[in-house]
Amino acid sequence: MHLPFCAAKCHYCDFYSIAAEGQDVDGTVDAVLLEAARRAPRAPRTVFFGGGTPSLLSIEQLTRLLDGLESITGFRESSVETTLESNPESMDREKAEALRALGVGRLSIGFQSLEPATLELFGRVHGVEDSFRAFEAARAGGFEEINVDLIYAAPGHSPERWAVDLPHVLALGPRHVSAYALAFEEETLFSKWLAEGRLEAQPEERELELFEQTHAILAAHGFDSYEVSNFAPKGHECRHNLNYWANGAYCGIGPSAVSHIAGRRAGNHKALAPWRKAVQAGKSAEAWDERLDPRGRLGESWWLGLRLRAGVDPAALRELAGWTAPEDPALAVARPLLEEGLLEEVDGRIRLSAAGLPLADAISLAFLA
Amino acid sequence: MDTKHIRNFSIIAHIDHGKSTLADRMLELTGAVELRDMQAQLLDDMPLERERGITIKAHAVTIYHVKDGERYQLNLIDTPGHVDFNYEVQKSLQACEGAVLLVDASQGVEAQTVANAYLAIEEELEIIPVLNKVDLAHARPDEIAEEIENSLAIEATDAIHISAKTGKNVNLVLDTIVDRVPAPTGDPSAPLQALIFDAVYDEYRGVIVYLRIFNGTLTKRDLTRMVKSGKQYEAVEIGRFSPKMTPTDTLKAGEVGYVVSNIKKLGDVKVGDTLTLAKFRDVEPVPGYEEPQHMVFADFYPTNPGDFEHLRDALETLALSDSSLSFFPESSDALGFGFRCGFLGLLHMEIIQQRLEREHDIDMIQTAPSVTYRISLADGTEQEIHSPGQLPSPDHFEELREPIVRASMMMPVEYIGAVMQISNDHRGIFVRQEHLSTTRVNLVFDIPLAEIIYDFYDKLKSSTRGYGTLNYDIIDFKADDLVKLKILVNGKEVDALSSIVHRSQAEYRGRQTLKKLRKEIPRHLFEVRLQAGVGSKIIARESIAALRKDVTAKCYGGDITRKRKLLEKQKAGKRRMRQVGNVDIPQKAFLSVLGGE
Ligand SMILES: Nc1nc2c(ncn2[C@@H]2O[C@H](COP(=O)(O)OP(=O)(O)OP(=O)(O)O)[C@@H](O)[C@H]2O)c(=O)[nH]1
Ligand code: SF4
Ligand SMILES: [Mg+2]
Repeated sequence: MHLPFCAAKCHYCDFYSIAAEGQDVDGTVDAVLLEAARRAPRAPRTVFFGGGTPSLLSIEQLTRLLDGLESITGFRESSVETTLESNPESMDREKAEALRALGVGRLSIGFQSLEPATLELFGRVHGVEDSFRAFEAARAGGFEEINVDLIYAAPGHSPERWAVDLPHVLALGPRHVSAYALAFEEETLFSKWLAEGRLEAQPEERELELFEQTHAILAAHGFDSYEVSNFAPKGHECRHNLNYWANGAYCGIGPSAVSHIAGRRAGNHKALAPWRKAVQAGKSAEAWDERLDPRGRLGESWWLGLRLRAGVDPAALRELAGWTAPEDPALAVARPLLEEGLLEEVDGRIRLSAAGLPLADAISLAFLA
Repeated sequence: MDTKHIRNFSIIAHIDHGKSTLADRMLELTGAVELRDMQAQLLDDMPLERERGITIKAHAVTIYHVKDGERYQLNLIDTPGHVDFNYEVQKSLQACEGAVLLVDASQGVEAQTVANAYLAIEEELEIIPVLNKVDLAHARPDEIAEEIENSLAIEATDAIHISAKTGKNVNLVLDTIVDRVPAPTGDPSAPLQALIFDAVYDEYRGVIVYLRIFNGTLTKRDLTRMVKSGKQYEAVEIGRFSPKMTPTDTLKAGEVGYVVSNIKKLGDVKVGDTLTLAKFRDVEPVPGYEEPQHMVFADFYPTNPGDFEHLRDALETLALSDSSLSFFPESSDALGFGFRCGFLGLLHMEIIQQRLEREHDIDMIQTAPSVTYRISLADGTEQEIHSPGQLPSPDHFEELREPIVRASMMMPVEYIGAVMQISNDHRGIFVRQEHLSTTRVNLVFDIPLAEIIYDFYDKLKSSTRGYGTLNYDIIDFKADDLVKLKILVNGKEVDALSSIVHRSQAEYRGRQTLKKLRKEIPRHLFEVRLQAGVGSKIIARESIAALRKDVTAKCYGGDITRKRKLLEKQKAGKRRMRQVGNVDIPQKAFLSVLGGE
């Protein structure tokens, strides 16, 4: 479920999100429920409230949203994992307690950085202290499964700094960490600043060093890197996201939300107004869709699956993609990469080797149709 | 119209001296084009001509001019000025009795002014010198007239001073053409004898044949025959260019026009052939054209091997309207099947390559241009080598010879020193120095053509601030201490990247080539090693470090499609490269063998 409101737009962010001020949040909650009533599957296995910053909603709005969703889908009974994304400026103990009571079992908090200058550069509205306070509030409010989002390799970031900051966060006791290397996504302020020379990306060597350091520190704290940028102790992986990388099915509700159902992927209107208009008119809010042929699905499944430490099961992906020809084109691509040591085979599954991991894109490119 | 009232002339000049602009004014002045339809360099109708602001092909057009109460048909051919399109000028002149020799009154006599004037002199045409751009403040018409007399021995004291830009005295040029250019001498009642001087392919109407009628009359619906090929076709439509194709019923001796016969087989029409009527069995062919001298050769390989036949069709279509293009099938270890093409120069090559890509939508890899070498074998036979990759190892031939050109370079005197220097650096041998006037000079050097192609022309332009101009003709093939410079990519020799160089330059050029390759070849998952070598000796090395990090930080349900598409775009880019061993080499890298930027 995509709720597009944020306290302010972060400079690096390429999600569809807008500053909440002056927006009709209540009306949007109504529309989300309207769309859910029409499209949401009954008894979902996992639920994820993302955006945007869903924690920005008031307790009343959250209550209406979650109770509403409950009456439509019965997720409180069926969901094995219900996550909500939050940011430090909109998380306190009271809200945490309310969310727990409403059926949310997992909370994600956007720390992003422990460097005040970097938070400012990012356009974040909270300080470093706020992040720690939010974490403690969530814990006090009853959350155990807490994820922390972090971004490394921002301009000026150093391994010395990271060696202190990352353990500092881990000392709080999160059950999950998402640590991303900063990416200059298209159509963000950051990519514009990069083009204008106002920002400089970290050199590749430095990025690689930080990437490896991230993996090492987290491993030392008992966090498996179960996906390129996601880490958790065994049994605490995010099941909702695992489904994306397994190229599974999901239903997305809200502006810009994407669904993947029976081999068809479709995205809602990005902007709030056209999405809402379509939903209220009882029309489809889809702006685009695509359906890949078996070869395309196979390649896409490998690309996504290789992000996982567990790698892929070639036979399972053939079945998922509906690939029936005797020769598996993905295996043909994999063979030389196995020989070069960029991929490795473990118990019948194929995965990136330690050397291949930082090259995931360059390698998986070969699998795409 | 009787032949007495016909005049056929070409406008010739050095590049950019204003030929097409003068043609514009003539079209306007004679009412051939309405003012509202007028645009600058109207006859330059190919998109590439408009983009680059130069004429590439000769363009024929018929205009009518009234002098002393009499109406004259003037068939004008606007010709290109660039040295590479010299052949077009030569063909145009054969269809004419006169030539307007246009000289920019601020630039003066330049290399192609002289070269093209000599072509007209050889054809024994009436030459009318005209000084253009006198509207410019720095025009020096009197000095330039003297240059014309000194360098060409053409009387130029009464050369007409015009401005093709403002139209000043253009009418006088038309009057002078009527007065001085002889009327064609052909006999309209004799058997038809027409020179095919050009042809273009039209998707709907087939081949459109451009004609200059020397004798006889061509009437619509006549059954025609091409003398050399023997092919017969009905003249479905005949007409003139005014400047749009305008149908007419007859074309008579002395006239220039076109004929459409629904010819779909490109090979049936050869520019330079003679057209007559089927009923005339023993008509003499008019003298055709000399085979053009190909200065450089380069290979075109389709990026997608399945496009080989498509490339052949495209080359055939282009060769119809550009008879100076030659091509024959070729294969390379690295690049598969393609065509070796002969060109009149580097610009010609670039134009052909762009036309193939744009007009025929073909993605190709082009190898660096090379000159033709000759080797003599132990058994006394000779062999031509058009591509360095095909040079056998030295023990398989006795002598390796390269083409030498006589290069004539005109420039203001202050650049003599600089041009002497670059000529010496490029293995040039001084022949002579002539003063065109007190301020301009002609330097003549014999230089290996390979040096001209490598970067001599760029150097000449930069060391004379663009004022130096160059014309050249192959005069000889000479032996020198030449060696094959091989390029190895991850230990594998890539034939399409080799070149033939002088031993003394091998190391420097090897290093230059590797430096460029290093920039062009993308990083791979492994290190790419580049080496340059002569014989079995490696003389330069470079390496392209392996990619270290390339991974999308995050990818969730909402961005799978978009991120996948970004990767697919990257992959499509890779498909346009050629795989040599396991290294992807982009198209541009194959040109790294050349000097310059
Ligand atoms: N000031 C001035 N500029 C002129 C005159 N005649 C032509 N030009 C300019 O000179 C440039 C070249 O003119 P073109 O007519 O394209 O020259 P061209 O001889 O046909 O060139 P190529 O066909 O490429 O050999 C253009 O920018 C014209 O506008 C003139 O009489 N006076
Ligand atoms: S809070 Fe998150 S969703 Fe909102 S703008 Fe910042 S990064 Fe984007
Ligand atoms: Mg022109």
